[in-house]
Amino acid sequence: MIEFESFTLENGLRVIFHKDVTTPMVAINTLYDVGARDESPDRTGFAHLFEHLMFSGSIHVPNFDTPLEQAGGNNNAFTTNDFTNYYDILPAQNIETALWLESDRMLSLAFTDKSLEVQRNVVIEEFKQNYLNQPYGDLWLELSPLAYKKHPYHWTTIGKSIDHIKNATMEEVKAFFDRYYHPGNAILSIAGNLELNQVKDLVNKWYADIPSRKKHIRNLPKEPVQNEFRTKTIVREVPSDLYVFAYKMPGRGKQGYYEADLISDILGHSKSSRLYKKLKKQEELVTDIDAYITGTIDDGLLVIMAYPDDHVSIEQVESSIWEELEKLKAKPIEEKELEKIINKMKTSKAFEEQGILNKSMILAFHELMGDANGINTETAKYEQVSIESIQKTAQDILHINNCSRLVIKSNEID
Amino acid sequence: MKSTDRSKAPKAHPITRINFIYPEVETLKNGVNLYCIRQTNDRTVRIDFTFNAGSLNDAKVLAEIAGELLLSGDATQTSDVIEESIDQLGGYTEVKVNTEKATLTVFGLVEHILSITKIVVDAIQNVNFDSKELKQTIQERRKELKIRLQKVKTLAQRTFVSHILKETPYGELIHLDDFDKVKKEDLIDFHQRNYLNGLQQINIVGALEDKEIKDIKNLALRFNKKDTVIPNYSYTHTPTILHLEKDKALQTAIRIGRMLFNKKHTDYKKFIVLNTLLGGYFGSRLMTSIREEKGYTYGIGSGVVQLSETGYFYIASEVAKEFKDATLNAIKAEIEKLQTTLVDNEELELVKNYLIGQILEQSDGAQAMMDRFNSVNYFGLTLNYYDDLIRTINQINPEEIKALAQRYLKWEDMTIVTVG
Repeated sequence: MIEFESFTLENGLRVIFHKDVTTPMVAINTLYDVGARDESPDRTGFAHLFEHLMFSGSIHVPNFDTPLEQAGGNNNAFTTNDFTNYYDILPAQNIETALWLESDRMLSLAFTDKSLEVQRNVVIEEFKQNYLNQPYGDLWLELSPLAYKKHPYHWTTIGKSIDHIKNATMEEVKAFFDRYYHPGNAILSIAGNLELNQVKDLVNKWYADIPSRKKHIRNLPKEPVQNEFRTKTIVREVPSDLYVFAYKMPGRGKQGYYEADLISDILGHSKSSRLYKKLKKQEELVTDIDAYITGTIDDGLLVIMAYPDDHVSIEQVESSIWEELEKLKAKPIEEKELEKIINKMKTSKAFEEQGILNKSMILAFHELMGDANGINTETAKYEQVSIESIQKTAQDILHINNCSRLVIKSNEID
Repeated sequence: MKSTDRSKAPKAHPITRINFIYPEVETLKNGVNLYCIRQTNDRTVRIDFTFNAGSLNDAKVLAEIAGELLLSGDATQTSDVIEESIDQLGGYTEVKVNTEKATLTVFGLVEHILSITKIVVDAIQNVNFDSKELKQTIQERRKELKIRLQKVKTLAQRTFVSHILKETPYGELIHLDDFDKVKKEDLIDFHQRNYLNGLQQINIVGALEDKEIKDIKNLALRFNKKDTVIPNYSYTHTPTILHLEKDKALQTAIRIGRMLFNKKHTDYKKFIVLNTLLGGYFGSRLMTSIREEKGYTYGIGSGVVQLSETGYFYIASEVAKEFKDATLNAIKAEIEKLQTTLVDNEELELVKNYLIGQILEQSDGAQAMMDRFNSVNYFGLTLNYYDDLIRTINQINPEEIKALAQRYLKWEDMTIVTVG
């Protein structure tokens, strides 16, 4: 049980506080309800570029990092398709340094043409380093538009192409800030050895005078039901092939979500999972195989990735995978297998929730999903999943017309 | 409402004291040390078994494959059965093999950890290196290496390390055809010498009862300890400039560095401050110049890799191909500046505060504290090292920084590797 308190300022800022008497540090996590899904299709990669610019100076602070480092802290940020998250961790006695910095960049940014220019280049290098200059690095650049036709998950957080980043203008950046970076669109989550009253006073001191703005109502195009098998083959300079199968599944917390998550574990989470045992150990068709979910807020994907052995055909791998999927649809799983994946889930959850930084981040995320207390109730939701509902979800999701297949062929083989 | 004065930073307070927690220590009958931190605030448990099973005394590929196969089955049960029973109890395992040691870590919740650990220890003790398992693991590892060899950063790192440590086993590389040379008999022999007779220490982090600790001690007694022999290699290194052309690469990976020392050396603690200033944190000189001012890279950093008897200094980055030379010049300029111009007090003060803040953070919580302890204990030092480190950081002055840069960061002492 992770205990917390929450309150909301008049300007709409939601605040969560978790008390931990054992730590000398304090974690300040700020989540903004804006992600790559909120971008316009001709300006993709914008939420992430913007995240970089948030470190390039705000109205009273020329550089975000310096005062925080001066106070013995460090920080970072990340952007997902759904939201943007900033975090600071520093010695508890210096909490005000982080609140000063974070509130100032919520109040108003003040970066220059030069910093926009530099961060565009930095992001372009990030694009090259992680997506273009790595074997299989462009997997998601190819898979996302195959699996999504209407919904903005159509593109990845880094963006569709380098050109979108190159063309970002100052006006666009400012408009983006005005729309998404304000108290009503943010969740502030604090964890450390503090008293609630102290937290309230400090948060009021630094955030109460930030003007509220109207929350932008998200109205994203809904992804139509798939109803067709999609496939794409690309040839790349990679040492061997990679087959990716992606099945649409419900968004986070929706009906069938927990079932689909557990199905991915049954199929490919560990060395005792069904696909691993069959395709790797028994049949020796792959050198590795893995299954996981994207876990997005809107309809997500259950992904199977198979690294075939070099002499094996895609037909062999594919028919073996389908055999296993059909088994899951035809026959209820044993009670013992369900217990196994629930036990695995509980262990990984317990380790993921260690430390104040992780706790503050997970609390903010659950608050975004509607209730910070989700951190405490989520396990029960997995435990409530029945064998029958797993079978039903498998039947709903794991069919050919719900599948997008990306084949990355090696130019070195054949 | 009174509005808040945002024009100046709130006053930051220095860290005056860090509480370092010593683990409980017990030396078992077989000479193995058991280190335990039981004061935790959750139900997680982590247990590390560290073996003298690195690659220093054998072929590198052998050490790696042996580690990978620890849970691959014995005369009575297959790897599938072993993995299934660990998973059933919600357990996770992780094996890390480097040149000097191999560590198998077991993760689980307190109610199952003992059962998981028993399964794991049985498996390690009785593994028989089944031929089919060996073949499958070799295929997997060979493919992983093939993929890694596509990356400019892997190629640069391999070229760099194999050059600066070429007189020693640390500089040995695994090549694709090495995998064909791995024989079952050699693995059995390696396991006998380095696992069954090579347990070095055990760490436990988690709220275990005395009875459970006793059971783990009994498991540990199934192994023997090996006396560590201090290797006596020649660490001489001739600075060289090497470039590997990779046609279609979009970026160039850079590695610059030299043989240096590890934390047993008297200048190490001071060097940490110099390194931080140069490339050890986000606001470092290198990040500021090459990322934040010029936009040549997504990231650049420097550090010291510590080996048991020495260490090496490195600068690492991946930069836009067209800016390779400009980046090298900019790095050289930053180093020269440190050698010729005194760092101003404000910047030095910042680095000092930042470093001490990091020590505080890296000692926060039982898991972190065990890692802190291991990182000094491995070198025969105590946690007093950190008190000394903090004192050194607080006392160092700009003249000393300049002198260190002149002594240890001479450009002509550096090996420079570029790939891309």
